[in-house]
Amino acid sequence: MNKSIISEEFLQQVESLQMLIKNNVAGLFGGNHKSKTFGSSCEFADYRDYIPGDDITKIDWNAYARFDKLYMKLYLDERQLHTRIYIDASRSMGYGKGKKDEQSLKIAATLAYLSICEMDKVSIYIIRDKQIHALITGMSGKEAYINEIGKLNDVSFDGDSFISDAILPEKVGYGDGLSVIISDFLTDNDYESAIDYLTEKKRDIFCVQVLSAEELNPKARGKMHFFDSENTSKFYRKNINREIANAYKQALNYVTDRIRSYCHARGAEYMLVSANESMSEIFFRKLTDMGVLK
Amino acid sequence: MSFLYPLGFLGLIAVPILIIIYIIKNKYTEQVISATYIWTLSERFLKRKNPINKLTGIISLILQILAVVFISVAIAHPVFVLPNAAGDFCFVLDASGSMNITQSGVTRFDKGKERINSLITESADGSKYTLICVGTVTNVIFEDIGDKEQALSLVADIDPAYVSSGVTDAISVAQEYFDANADIKTYLITDKAYETSDNVELVDVSAHESNFALSDVGYSYSEGKVHVSGKAISYEEDAENVSVKLYLDGEAAGEQVLKLNRLEFVDFKFETQAADFSELRVEIAEEDALLLDNEFVIYNEKSDSSFRTLIVSSGSPFYVQSTLISLGNNQVTTMKVEEYEAANTEGYGLYIFDGYSPAVMPRDGAVWFFNPLKSTENSGFSVQGDSIEEVGKIEYSTSSSTRVRNLLKGLVRDDVYISGYMKCGLYRNFTTVASIKGNPLVFAGTNSYGNREVVFAFDLQRSDLVMSFDFIPLVRNLLNYTFPEVVENQSAYCGETIQVNVLANCDSIRVDTPLGKIEYLDTGTDLVEYGLTEVGVYTLTLMFGNMPRVVNLFSAMPEEERATTVAAETAFVINGEAGGGMRDGVYDNLLIMFIVLAVLILADWVVYCYEQYQL
Repeated sequence: MNKSIISEEFLQQVESLQMLIKNNVAGLFGGNHKSKTFGSSCEFADYRDYIPGDDITKIDWNAYARFDKLYMKLYLDERQLHTRIYIDASRSMGYGKGKKDEQSLKIAATLAYLSICEMDKVSIYIIRDKQIHALITGMSGKEAYINEIGKLNDVSFDGDSFISDAILPEKVGYGDGLSVIISDFLTDNDYESAIDYLTEKKRDIFCVQVLSAEELNPKARGKMHFFDSENTSKFYRKNINREIANAYKQALNYVTDRIRSYCHARGAEYMLVSANESMSEIFFRKLTDMGVLK
Repeated sequence: MSFLYPLGFLGLIAVPILIIIYIIKNKYTEQVISATYIWTLSERFLKRKNPINKLTGIISLILQILAVVFISVAIAHPVFVLPNAAGDFCFVLDASGSMNITQSGVTRFDKGKERINSLITESADGSKYTLICVGTVTNVIFEDIGDKEQALSLVADIDPAYVSSGVTDAISVAQEYFDANADIKTYLITDKAYETSDNVELVDVSAHESNFALSDVGYSYSEGKVHVSGKAISYEEDAENVSVKLYLDGEAAGEQVLKLNRLEFVDFKFETQAADFSELRVEIAEEDALLLDNEFVIYNEKSDSSFRTLIVSSGSPFYVQSTLISLGNNQVTTMKVEEYEAANTEGYGLYIFDGYSPAVMPRDGAVWFFNPLKSTENSGFSVQGDSIEEVGKIEYSTSSSTRVRNLLKGLVRDDVYISGYMKCGLYRNFTTVASIKGNPLVFAGTNSYGNREVVFAFDLQRSDLVMSFDFIPLVRNLLNYTFPEVVENQSAYCGETIQVNVLANCDSIRVDTPLGKIEYLDTGTDLVEYGLTEVGVYTLTLMFGNMPRVVNLFSAMPEEERATTVAAETAFVINGEAGGGMRDGVYDNLLIMFIVLAVLILADWVVYCYEQYQL
């Protein structure tokens, strides 16, 4: 990539974005990550009878004074979650002037920052062909973020990508956080299995479909011979008229609706993003409207 | 069907070239996009498979091939034969004065031209047209031409005359065309009602339009009063309150309101006090279909007949002097030869030398010689030898020339004898009025100074001319010749030919016609004939050095052309058996081909735009 996408300037924007989000909403996916077990946080949850061997520091002496019986104060357990971000690094994401690659990296970086701010761990993976390449693993804390997020600038977009084939063999954790898949999903290849797999693993799932403006609203008319950037043996040769343009829009709607409904059916979140949209638009309006940010 | 230029089909070579180019040239725009997935998927969403869509790729090619074919055919210029569709047409167009009668701003002549135009336009190509125009003279405007555009152009260029014209010549010309081709259709376009018109289709362009006219307008002047009289007539309908007005020098001088019954002349008179006038105009105030006959103008040109006369005589000029005085010339001076030769005499309008030939010709006036004894330089004639002493009878000229007729006007031509004369040789263009044995005795012309000159080559006292009835008229005629009016009458009818006297020392004569044309008359002779072809005021401007002399002349509408409904005097008959055959017409109009071609090119352009821009 010629120009550093994750630059100092971008990080300042993310910081300001985070401030806005922090002032207005309560964090990513509920933010507090409270577990269903009782733990050692400062937040009171309930009382129970004292059992010998319990930590006597948790006895509520005020309750003992009133009831003459020992009660243990229970506190909610807070666990550090692990946000895993998967970036589709196929050629279709990076070809041409669509800036889908740039938009994908920015979204990944911003989501990572928001997770870091929630004291979560963040790992960023690159999907290329049928494999996952870990770009950043277990990043925690802002300092680590500042140090490591620049690696995103080194991501190259080339080849094909098979999302399911890449994710299914990997360890994706279990019930410990958010999994984000960023792709254009313009493929016949299976991605549904990956979503199902992550669902089974009790992961929160967030699919981000990034499309360029030309893909969302193609301007091409007349006799066109399109070649697929990932596989030039694939082509589309047609005299593109209004009828075909309308059919394209229907096909596009079909593709986006299919992903959206598939995600929603599995409790996953889905967001369609144009490569031209600004981060503030995406995070401050879209995600808020969707309820992803509360 | 035939083709004028079959080589035009060579253009069809472009068709295979076009196909090859079309095959070679990949007109699809190649482009690599991130993914063809949605485009491929969109095939499932195409509503219907229109079979025409399969042709969309070659619609442009088909249109271009058709365009090339049409261009080639157009260049080859196909000519379609239309059996028995064309004909031969002979149009006889009346261009007489009555064709100027107007209805709703359109003259009968224009209506006639429109009818000819429609006949030509509606006829099939391959027809042939002849147009005979009967105006001042009968003219064949075009003959057997097949080019419609040329025929229409020539029809547009013709104008009506203002004269009365006969169709006799036109009948004979049309007869010649009919004799040569019995299939020819003859159309007579006129406003006259012909009783019979065999083999002729009569196109009547009259519409019984309202028309008033003046006639027989004249005036007399006595005791400071102008007496004007004339007649008015309505040719089409009874009319009340028709106003006739008199103008003197443009100022209203009288008005009469007349009741006119159809085709009945009604007299009118004006009497008005006027010390003098130069123009008298009578007009009908009401507008009608022919304004040209509603006005009559009379000009009162100041006469130049008063002039001073000097008689230089070697004997007694009694006869000459008394005759001049009897003709009203009272300013006659007589002088002896010795007195004349002693003094440097000038300032006379007429010098008469009786039995004497001066050494030098006077330059400032006309000259008459009686019995010249010797030659005088610049006189235009020479005296050859001594007097011939023999008795003989004067022979008057039998020439029919205008000048001779004018000079001998009113003469009874009694026998006149002389007993002696001088034999003269004429250098210049003199007109001999009388002669004896081939020797000119009385002749008139101009001398080297441009002044008019009259010579009697004998002594009056040695003839009985002065005793005959002819002497006074002859002298009057010669005086009129010597001091001519520019025109004899300043009112004439259109179609007449007037005589214009070229006065002495006149450099040029310019004629401004009523319609604004400018013409110049020949001043190399002393009398010019000029035909009046327009109605209105003609202005003649004679230039004497830098000094102009302007003479106005009114040319009136001929009376026989004024009637709204004109009855023709003769029948228009073409003799012979009409063939009625038709010739094969042709249709070689490329307009339709060009329209189709334009449509094809436009369609190709639309297809191109649709393909490229989905407009």
